Amino acid sequence: MKTYRDIVGDAGSNVQGQVGTQQRRLRARMAKIGLKVAVLSGKGGVGKSVIVANLAAALATRGMRVGVLDADINGPSQAKMLGVRGQRLEFRAEGVQPAWGPLGIRVLSMDLFLRSDDTPVRWSGPTEGEGYIWRGAMEAATLREFLADTEWGELDLLLLDLPPGTDRIPNLLPLLPELHGVIIVTLPSEVSQLIVGKSVTVAKETLKAPILGMIENMAAHLCCRCGAEEPLFPGQDSARMAERLAIPFLGRVPFDPLLTRSADEGTPVLLSHPSTPAAKALSQIAARVAEALHLPPAPLEREESQ
Amino acid sequence: MKFLCVPCDEPMKIQETKGPEDGSLTVVFGCPTCRRQVALLTNPMETQMVRSLDVKIGGPQAPSDPMRFVRSSLTSMREEVPPADQPTTTVAGCPFTSMANAAFERQSPAHGAIWTEEAARRLINIPGFVRSWAQKGIEEYAREKGYQKITAEVMDEVRDRFGM
Repeated sequence: MKTYRDIVGDAGSNVQGQVGTQQRRLRARMAKIGLKVAVLSGKGGVGKSVIVANLAAALATRGMRVGVLDADINGPSQAKMLGVRGQRLEFRAEGVQPAWGPLGIRVLSMDLFLRSDDTPVRWSGPTEGEGYIWRGAMEAATLREFLADTEWGELDLLLLDLPPGTDRIPNLLPLLPELHGVIIVTLPSEVSQLIVGKSVTVAKETLKAPILGMIENMAAHLCCRCGAEEPLFPGQDSARMAERLAIPFLGRVPFDPLLTRSADEGTPVLLSHPSTPAAKALSQIAARVAEALHLPPAPLEREESQ
Repeated sequence: MKFLCVPCDEPMKIQETKGPEDGSLTVVFGCPTCRRQVALLTNPMETQMVRSLDVKIGGPQAPSDPMRFVRSSLTSMREEVPPADQPTTTVAGCPFTSMANAAFERQSPAHGAIWTEEAARRLINIPGFVRSWAQKGIEEYAREKGYQKITAEVMDEVRDRFGM
């Protein structure tokens, strides 16, 4: 009697072929994008999405064509932070036109699909009650579709804003084996640093991409009266932690309520308040990211170096 | 999963699929030699697993419309997002989009534009509810003119020409 291995094919469904078609569609779309960089954290609430929105703006200001994929399916925030929540997606046969943010930044986020502010992501299905079992598969399929079915156009860089935690990091490898880099965001708190170390380990072990470096957010509080810098958290110096983890340290962003206010207003602080210490720090970090990605210097940097 | 007709020692082929209905998918297999049939009835978990893979049992799907999986899986979506059983070739959007497109005699641009810092700052001073229109219009104007970058001077040109 024949065994499983003796029988070629799968009775006519060609599931492998269908998955192959999905992959080819994804590859064709990604081929038009120069660099893909994922931004992740360990704990939630470290300000990763604000950092992504501002990095996107900083790199777009340098003349790059930038896209932002909000890969946080259940807690999407990029549409708000980049001021595109009011825009409507255009569905065409060749793909979905993403929203257009400041500086022509393309944005795709689950937020642009949801009916209202209070609508959570709920998947329909025969086993909705047992959603915890298959939610990961649904999110992975959604992420694949966001990547493959969005008409990103020709981009120099696509930034992926990943959800917090380590569990979704391995999902990226089959979708983006050509990932060009990973950026880690942390706080100088012991709890955040404890968790972010795990994310670095998972990223190193599962992704083939280099870790471009670590960013410390909410690094210090600047007194609004005298401008003196005061630490906000009692954790260890993130630069030392980066050294211990053998990854580059990209810089610190001081705590500034304007960062949050600008995000709420849909404009990166880098554009709305470019002279603030936080905006300057973000700009410097973006320059280091560009350097790590071997991008040409921005015009201003070229002038300064001459 | 494969089915073997034991008397004939022949792999069975999918003949028909039904559903899913009430969380169950029916897949009928037949032996190409003796014509004997069996039906596979999936339970809700199995049905969901197949669905999560975004594959179709019984044969390749037609070339899929963009975001079909998301559109067929979310329980609640914005009104302008077409349901999965509707084609996506029509542009669903704000009723004023076509007016804005006509004003600029264009379709939405497929390629991005580079904004200088000064131009970007001027852009964010445009009221939010018209900013994306203005941005697209300026970018399309720049593309048509062959400008590599959008500068404050380009914005002045657009303002003088269209009154933006």
